[in-house]
Amino acid sequence: MTDFLQVLFVGIGDGAIYAMLGLGLVVIYRSTGLLNFAQGEMAMFSTFIVWTVWDLGVPLPLAVIAGMVGGFGVGALAHQIAVRPVGDPHEKPLAVVMVTIGLFVGLNSAAQLVWGTLDRDLPPLFGSGGIEVAGVAIAWQKIGAVIVLAVLALGFYLLFQRTGLGLAMRAVASNSESASLVGVPVPKLLMLGWGLAAAVGTVAGVFTAPGRGLGSNMMQLTLIFGFAAITLGGFDSLLGAVVGGFVVGIASSVVPQYVPGFEKMPLAPAFILILAVLLFRPEGLFGRKQVQRV
Amino acid sequence: MSDATALGDGPTAKVAPSPARRVPVGRVVVSVVVAAVLVALPFMFPAFRVEQFVGWMALAIAACGLNLLTGYNGQISVGHGALYGTGAYATALLITDLGWPVWPSVAAAGVICFVVGVAIGLPALRIKGLYLALVTLAVATLFPLIIEQFSSITGGGSGLSITTPQETPRGVIERPIRLESPGGSLAPDQWKYFVFLVLTVVVFVVMRNIVRSRTGRSLVAVRDNETAAEVSGVHVARVKILTFGVSSAMAGIGGAVFALNNGRINPSSFTIVVSIYFLIAVVVGGAASVIGPAIGAVAYGLFIDVLSPELPERFKPATPVILGVLLILLMLFAPGGIVGMWRTSAAKRAAKRARAATAAAASGDTV
Repeated sequence: MTDFLQVLFVGIGDGAIYAMLGLGLVVIYRSTGLLNFAQGEMAMFSTFIVWTVWDLGVPLPLAVIAGMVGGFGVGALAHQIAVRPVGDPHEKPLAVVMVTIGLFVGLNSAAQLVWGTLDRDLPPLFGSGGIEVAGVAIAWQKIGAVIVLAVLALGFYLLFQRTGLGLAMRAVASNSESASLVGVPVPKLLMLGWGLAAAVGTVAGVFTAPGRGLGSNMMQLTLIFGFAAITLGGFDSLLGAVVGGFVVGIASSVVPQYVPGFEKMPLAPAFILILAVLLFRPEGLFGRKQVQRV
Repeated sequence: MSDATALGDGPTAKVAPSPARRVPVGRVVVSVVVAAVLVALPFMFPAFRVEQFVGWMALAIAACGLNLLTGYNGQISVGHGALYGTGAYATALLITDLGWPVWPSVAAAGVICFVVGVAIGLPALRIKGLYLALVTLAVATLFPLIIEQFSSITGGGSGLSITTPQETPRGVIERPIRLESPGGSLAPDQWKYFVFLVLTVVVFVVMRNIVRSRTGRSLVAVRDNETAAEVSGVHVARVKILTFGVSSAMAGIGGAVFALNNGRINPSSFTIVVSIYFLIAVVVGGAASVIGPAIGAVAYGLFIDVLSPELPERFKPATPVILGVLLILLMLFAPGGIVGMWRTSAAKRAAKRARAATAAAASGDTV
């Protein structure tokens, strides 16, 4: 039982990270309607910015904020120069996929170019200690991840539901043409969406790095987990990203531990989830059904 | 997908008022020159270079398969690296563990990947566009983990050597496979080059025939408008599943060439990056053109194998950065790739000629 709880808590901690990356993916999907395959690499890149600032002697929490600002810049810039000019993702899916893949390849190797190919050490944001509950050790880092996720999710909720800016962003997501007609500055808001997504991605990167080593490939698995989270939750649902993140985190921690034949494939449950949800319930748990007018 | 790449020589046909059919001198000259260069290459370069050329052929074959699926049929796969890997592992295991001869193993790799492709194609009937890209991306990421999981068969992270039993003075021992020319008239790398060059040409000829056939037209019809294709009597589901199968078989054969060229495979050769390379080869050369992936594969090979090693160690990662930037620029300014640019300029020239001809005719009338 203790073992199981241990595995469960690891899953919850990881799930919080997947949910953070998922939040960014959802924000991008809602604003520009595309699946951003470069989300993980954007997060990796801004985590390196965090490392650089921290390495200069700045306290880690401040460095994280600096990295989020840097990430915001990377995301906004990526949208302005690469994603927006290419056009509507559902009319030209190949071109859009290729552009995000171009960003993927470019950012990945740019990070190697700037920071070298050796992994860097980023200390855990909440220290390496933990507490013991009922014989189960829980790292502060995991608890911290859940708290930070809660803060981010609440922040997004308030932004989208309680502010004029959020209302405008929702208008763009729901019908960008009409929004533009009533005077909403659509391109600016799309850019803002990409910036915000990259900024929360930074946090996901900061939580991933201490366990895996800060290297240019560290987010590639996390990206698939993040996608599994939002597929399950529904591509346009923030709540779905959070719930989906935890489900995926727990599944990918419990299954390799207890199901024979899956020991080295934590990704397999996530893959099965993506496939099953897309086949049988494409709108996910909380997403809106996509209806096509013929 | 832009119209320029949609239907073979569409733009030229539309613009130029069909001239009388003449011998395409330019085309014949280009073909002869290309053929001569292809034959001369292995005699002009050292063995390691020639082996790199064979690697480009493996890439070209796999990209050709991906082009059938993504370029002509509009189903985006970011996971063809997994099928490439399946083909490579199938070939290696059949030769090493079951003692099969080389060519039946390559053929079997194609058949196995066809079956796997059909299995992936079934769910792809319901999952489209960006979402299919997502699922195949997950397949590509999962593949190396599957290899590690079944390490008792696949050798896990340390990989597999392709070996065959060989007679030696000290009895029969397992030795790394070598493809050698009968009579030993060519060096092993040269022999390998020509054997796989023939295979590559065969794959591209098959591709050309598929694309120009009734089936090929139905592929394009399904891509451009599924409903319209269905109404016109195209069996959409069958077309899509078969395309997935054939495309996967080609990727598998590419993987077989890769395995036989290297003699050794391990899961790190089949990461997500490989799938991305295939897509790059397809779109750089020109999606939905038969020869595009070959041009893309050569362009990519020149970039990675020839240009990149020239850079100082510190700046090696710069090549993929340039590649990423080029890819984005290409999508923004020339989504048809190199072949697309060529076609556009050819169409422009044809239009100019046609205008000149009409102008000449008009002035002739007034005289």
